[in-house]
Amino acid sequence: METIENISEIKQIEKKKTKSVGFHSVKWIVFVLFAVYAISLIIPFVWMLINSFKTQSDFFNGSVWGFPKQWEGLNFYEVLTYTVTTVGGYEESVFEMILWSLLTTVLGTFVNVFLSAVVAYVLVNYKFPGRNLIYGVAIFTMVTPIVGTLPAQVNMMEMLHLDDSLIGVLFLYSGCFGFNFIMLYSAFSSISWSYAEAAGMDGASRFGIFFKIMLPMAKGPIIACCILQAITLWNDYSTPYLFMPSHYTLAVGLNELQGEFTGKGNYPMMFASFIVALIPVLILYSCFQKKIIENTNAGGLKG
Amino acid sequence: MEKIINIDSAEIVREEPNKVKAKKRLSKKWRDYIFIFVMLLYPIAQFVFTWSFVNIKSVLLAFQEGSVYGYTWVGFDTISKVFYESFNSYRNTTGVSWLNDSAVIILNSVGFAFITIFISLPLSVLFSFFLSKKMPLANVFRVIFFLPNIIPVVALTFAFKMAYQPEVGYLYPLIKALGISETSLNTYPLSQLLVYGYCIWAGLGYNIILLSGAIGRIPKELLESAKIDNCGYFKEFIHVVIPMIWPTIVTLVILGMTNVLTLYLQPLFLTNGEGNTWTISLEIWESVSTSNPKALCEAAAKGLIFSAIWSPVIMLTRHFMSKPFSEVNY
Repeated sequence: METIENISEIKQIEKKKTKSVGFHSVKWIVFVLFAVYAISLIIPFVWMLINSFKTQSDFFNGSVWGFPKQWEGLNFYEVLTYTVTTVGGYEESVFEMILWSLLTTVLGTFVNVFLSAVVAYVLVNYKFPGRNLIYGVAIFTMVTPIVGTLPAQVNMMEMLHLDDSLIGVLFLYSGCFGFNFIMLYSAFSSISWSYAEAAGMDGASRFGIFFKIMLPMAKGPIIACCILQAITLWNDYSTPYLFMPSHYTLAVGLNELQGEFTGKGNYPMMFASFIVALIPVLILYSCFQKKIIENTNAGGLKG
Repeated sequence: MEKIINIDSAEIVREEPNKVKAKKRLSKKWRDYIFIFVMLLYPIAQFVFTWSFVNIKSVLLAFQEGSVYGYTWVGFDTISKVFYESFNSYRNTTGVSWLNDSAVIILNSVGFAFITIFISLPLSVLFSFFLSKKMPLANVFRVIFFLPNIIPVVALTFAFKMAYQPEVGYLYPLIKALGISETSLNTYPLSQLLVYGYCIWAGLGYNIILLSGAIGRIPKELLESAKIDNCGYFKEFIHVVIPMIWPTIVTLVILGMTNVLTLYLQPLFLTNGEGNTWTISLEIWESVSTSNPKALCEAAAKGLIFSAIWSPVIMLTRHFMSKPFSEVNY
């Protein structure tokens, strides 16, 4: 009996080998495709970085792939002090744009993630009439494709007189029944309520339990949500463009700068301004890339 | 201090146990409600207000006509006007006889669903399958593939655009060698193909991350039992992997379909609509950003018309696509 089994095993292994030879060659082709795709994603930015150090004449006279004659950071300094006139009629330098970007990103991330955490926490841990309704509506609005509501949104913000202010932008960012809500809902679901009960016995108030015990326990998912939200808001174009036209954030200003610099043919300055906008995002990404990718994965499951 | 209060209340409990207990339970419940009310007040109010306002107003605006003096009711006038204009344009600048200037906008928009579903998605499903098969440098690839999602669209479109920029672009010599002229890059249909190319290039990574995550969650026993049954890689892919990641595929198809009515930043930054690269939502965006009341109503009407046509299609697709492997649950 044993020998027969062995023979069939050997046959199976042989079969597998022939199969995997074909598979492996395909795998290597895919590997090369991956490498090409990965390089195509990186090359433009390396190219921009090299050229952002060149002077304008150096860029046009030399080879586009050549290194600058001398590495000068002058473009970066000039970019930071370069001013554009916003739609609202203000003179704003790139440095100020960075400050506006920081302000909207930090405050927007805070209101969004904090409120999402509040709602998720209450819905997970407290039973009250309407609880399932709120959760159901949140999911329903997430999966129902409603498009073309931008005109009504503009109309609403005009009526509220929030169509040109940071408060208006933050008001829109504070909508908290989105992706972060779902993430934090599952995060709070996995934290045992007995910690809260123990704290309650020791005399902690409901707010105390939330702020001092439950929020710190959900630190990991909350940080992950904050990073993703911060990157999204730093890159957001539409909301600040429509509802804060007097002050540009960097994402809005970049488009303006692109037009101006390309018109003047000053590509090195253009590249320098893009590099400036990318640095914060790249720093965040390189520190937290594992967390970011994991979180995106988890979101894909829920859809 | 606190301790003393505790002692007091404990004494009271001893005096009239039943009554106080009932009172206390009630007050605990009410204190719960107060807590819930305080915590949920702003989020719920913000949601109800914005969501209902925006959705009701979208419909109302479509039945109005805006002017500097305000909005007046015009019934179906705006809708029928916009409907007619969205499908019948006298102008034809596309260079294709059967494609006038309004038809090309619809074709462009629908094209985005087509390329995401029939090009990006199959490619990324295949790629993620290979990525899960002990591909060398798999993690490096994952990190790089995610990059397009963290870079501002303005910067990413610019990086893409620079490649074929005349004289200075790093791929321009290649384009020159292929005999493609500068003007044809900016005229239909090549202009639109470049926008599509950008969307595939920039969108592939995100799909791969999501799908390889889904493949990673397939229970190992399942893949092992497939191996024991002498199931080859092809069979494993068709009979195990595809059904198991079907929910993610459905999600990506639905996302691709909503692109038809939501995608405007890419053509805005890449071409600014030049070379007949308009989409439906780029038109809506254009009218909205001028903040002219008349244009606002027409944009709302346009949104309403196309949502009414396209949303049922999306819903039906979701319904039929979730059927085949509905028993998959993990």
